[in-house]
Amino acid sequence: MSNLTFQEAVVAGIAEEMDRDLRVFHLGQDIGPVYNGAMHSAKGLGERFGPARIIETPISEGAMMGAGIGAAIGGMRPIVQIMFAEFLGLTVTPLACDAAAMWYKSDGQTCVPLVVRVLFGAGPHRGHSEDYQAWVASTPGIKVVMPSCPRDAKGLMKAAIRDNNPVVFFEHMGIYHGSRQEVPDEDHVIPLGKADIKRQGTDVTLVATALMVQQALKAAEQLQQQGISVEVIDPRTIVPMDVDTVLSAVARTRRLVVISETWKTGDPLSDLAATVAEELGGDAPLRIARAGLQNTPRPFAMPLTRAAMPGVQTIVETVRRVMEPK
Amino acid sequence: MISEDNTLISLYYLVAKGRELERQMTKLPGFHPGVGEEAVVVGSFFGLSDDDYIAPHYRGALLAAHMRGAEIRRLVAGVLGKATSYSRGRVRGDICLPLKFNTLGMFSGVLGNPMSIATGIGLSTKMKGNKGVVVTSFGEGTSNLGAFHESINLAACLALPVVYVCHNNGYAMSTRTEYAIKGASVANRALGYGIPGVQVDGNDVVAVHQAVQMAVARARAGEGPTLIDALTYRISGHYSADANSYQPAEEREAWLKKDPLDRIKARLLSRGALNEIQIAEIERSVVEEISAAIAEAQNDPDPDLDVLGPDDLYCNDGLGENAK
Repeated sequence: MSNLTFQEAVVAGIAEEMDRDLRVFHLGQDIGPVYNGAMHSAKGLGERFGPARIIETPISEGAMMGAGIGAAIGGMRPIVQIMFAEFLGLTVTPLACDAAAMWYKSDGQTCVPLVVRVLFGAGPHRGHSEDYQAWVASTPGIKVVMPSCPRDAKGLMKAAIRDNNPVVFFEHMGIYHGSRQEVPDEDHVIPLGKADIKRQGTDVTLVATALMVQQALKAAEQLQQQGISVEVIDPRTIVPMDVDTVLSAVARTRRLVVISETWKTGDPLSDLAATVAEELGGDAPLRIARAGLQNTPRPFAMPLTRAAMPGVQTIVETVRRVMEPK
Repeated sequence: MISEDNTLISLYYLVAKGRELERQMTKLPGFHPGVGEEAVVVGSFFGLSDDDYIAPHYRGALLAAHMRGAEIRRLVAGVLGKATSYSRGRVRGDICLPLKFNTLGMFSGVLGNPMSIATGIGLSTKMKGNKGVVVTSFGEGTSNLGAFHESINLAACLALPVVYVCHNNGYAMSTRTEYAIKGASVANRALGYGIPGVQVDGNDVVAVHQAVQMAVARARAGEGPTLIDALTYRISGHYSADANSYQPAEEREAWLKKDPLDRIKARLLSRGALNEIQIAEIERSVVEEISAAIAEAQNDPDPDLDVLGPDDLYCNDGLGENAK
């Protein structure tokens, strides 16, 4: 076990996979030993693996994405860092229109084992917080990973690198250099598409990702004091979504709350709520509530940033809503 | 002399085959023909090795894939969406080609994507150290896209073994080149990337072939990318139903006199490499071959609905049989 931050855990996962498989390489802007990646997202990799495998590029996200896709087709296993999720738009046509379709449309002639790393979320830098996760999550063929803690971050990064499909890996800046966690040193791989129940509970099933998981756990503590038992499920991967785990939980509690740091419109968790309603609605009373980012562009000033997104208090109130009699 | 004659005859044969293929395919709806641009296709992709990759322009793409080993009948089946196509009808075969022949097509209708992805294939060949190169082609309209700039700049920075060939056919749909490109030429754009930019007569298959092969040799030697600007003319419309009425008659007449098929034929005749009878025989056999392939493809079955494959979204266990 090592006591790691989220950032250290992600980098450790990458380094282990680069040691294990010579086809794995990392491509991005400023990821070499001079700068070590935005927010130290590639710390130590340049020094350890050298410029042949830690490849620095000019600012050209579209070409970087194309380079990753092409290198994957050519038999390598690239990790492309496009720095911030805010820049995803610059890469969407090669990623979503072409790469996502290649396995299906080629009828199995090629696959695209590619990891795309992006930083996102309200964090210490007061910028680049937009995630635009719906842009990638809504296109079939792209897997989307959004871990909430160091342990999951390492295990999911290793799984993403071993996956034969394009995977977009979201790294939340608000928890990046935050609290440490014991992370296994051995070959610790968490399969994509498997949710983790972060807290057991009997009254309400709450689903959240990334920073919202941490907030939800705090809210669950408060609610416990008020006699409400909240089960917190972290799907860990938005695509594929572990619908079965959520369905079996909600079948027991009959109450679902989804908490997002993104807009509710087009939110993959809204889609999850729709699936739960479709599958379980009508059998017995079913309560569903959602909280997400205010439906405007993200405001800048810190009090506005905080107020626009769900916090512990919002989560408590949202849970209470599904506990009240109709 | 004989080996040079043989190369010329091979180039001619492919241009003739391409012409007949484009001519007949134009009669099918929704096809994007490349009549008049066959010399650029043949010159670009002739003489590559098995380890090399190509990412051809959609105009002339079937001929390019055929040059890499794909069967014409199955390629045409792809255009028609038939079960016998290389994707069993999952992708439109006029723009998307079978990757098992190291031939990348368009998995969407978005121009520029194949260019940036081809650049990445170049990165993989360089990293694997197998001396493979990538030859990719595109229209001059695509040279206005950000993907062109970003890809070539990245290839130059990383010294990637990629040859970029522009089918400069005068028109992006109906938009004329001189309206959309204000620099002296597409070749001139290479200056901005610090790489060679070569302008070549795109209706002279030998000239295109020589220019591309020089660039390929440079790429194989680790000296990085080259941009080739092949000047040609789109005799056909943008797609089957486009009557290209926007092409001025005089301009068109002048280009028709420079037809790439006529030019390579004249060259063979003047060298005595082939005579009129032999040429007529070759062209007769080409018409027969293409007609038979198209007729077969047209009679091929539509895909069964099991090709829909709702659960075939991810590659779970590596590549299967169809990749071989």
